[in-house]
Amino acid sequence: MTLDYDAELMLRVRGGDGASFGVLLEKHRTSVVHFLFRMVQNYGVAEELAQEVFLRVYRSRESYEASAKFTTWLFRIATHLALNALRDGKNEKFQERLDDESADMPARQVSDARPTVEQKMVYQVRLDEVRRAVATLPEKQRAAVLMHKYEEMEYSQIAKVLSCSESAVKSLLFPAYETLRARLAHMA
Amino acid sequence: MEARQGSELLLEYTAGRLEPQAVAALEAHIESCPRCREFAQSQEVVWQALEAWEVEPVSMDFDRRLFARIENTPPSWWTRLTGQVMHHAVPVAAAAGVMILAGLMLERPSVMPVEPPRESAQVETLGPEQVQSALDDMEMLRDFNHLVRPDSAEPRM
Repeated sequence: MTLDYDAELMLRVRGGDGASFGVLLEKHRTSVVHFLFRMVQNYGVAEELAQEVFLRVYRSRESYEASAKFTTWLFRIATHLALNALRDGKNEKFQERLDDESADMPARQVSDARPTVEQKMVYQVRLDEVRRAVATLPEKQRAAVLMHKYEEMEYSQIAKVLSCSESAVKSLLFPAYETLRARLAHMA
Repeated sequence: MEARQGSELLLEYTAGRLEPQAVAALEAHIESCPRCREFAQSQEVVWQALEAWEVEPVSMDFDRRLFARIENTPPSWWTRLTGQVMHHAVPVAAAAGVMILAGLMLERPSVMPVEPPRESAQVETLGPEQVQSALDDMEMLRDFNHLVRPDSAEPRM
């Protein structure tokens, strides 16, 4: 099996190369944090969970085996922590109120010009709709959709992350997208 | 088109992940199938909505906090166990090695290194023939000097 580059980097970390861990962190930090945020919908919790993900990656370095893609292993840890956090009954505490100030438009603007007040309001309404729609998905469907859409993972890789079959992944994704089509149809 | 298979194809098509040949065939089908056309259009709305869901950047001190946690995290039970073994085993092994070596040294008879035989002073000894030849040369030299300088004294040898 040809190793992917990230797996090679992780093997170097296993060999004591701390710089390679920095490279992996730089490369995957944002996607892990964003995945966790979209899962738990609380930014502070998302960063805490992401810290735990990379801490576990680092602590497991001596026993790491490149039996799969590095991102498979990475997102397996992230998904596991997110599902545990959600099931720990902290779901209500996790999810920021959707009218919270922290749910404002992110610092990075879509267009070069500063948005008008009206544009901000429209954006906020649409954002709330999307967040609510994703939040209504059962946790595993949510994880599958987020990996499929934002990480562009194939069904086979999602199956490995979730430790299930490809058929099971499709059974998660197709109903999830059907739900989202129904809830977001008015945004056409 | 079978429902599940159709959904999968349409999902991949709307996500832009379908092979070009499959795209052409599917688009021809969508033209004539209202149900698939509706599916594709509604799924496009979902993709656009999800793509618009931007997340704020990771905080600037994320790495610093992570490395602080790594530093402060106690070693795993395995690392602690192997560390304890090394901590105690190495000195014990070293002491055992010294004792074994000492025992071996005490058992073997002391053997002084044999000095290599000294080379005896080489005295050049001359045989009788060589002595006679040297004397003959001296006499011949004296006769030669006498012939060259008849008034000179005995030649200095």
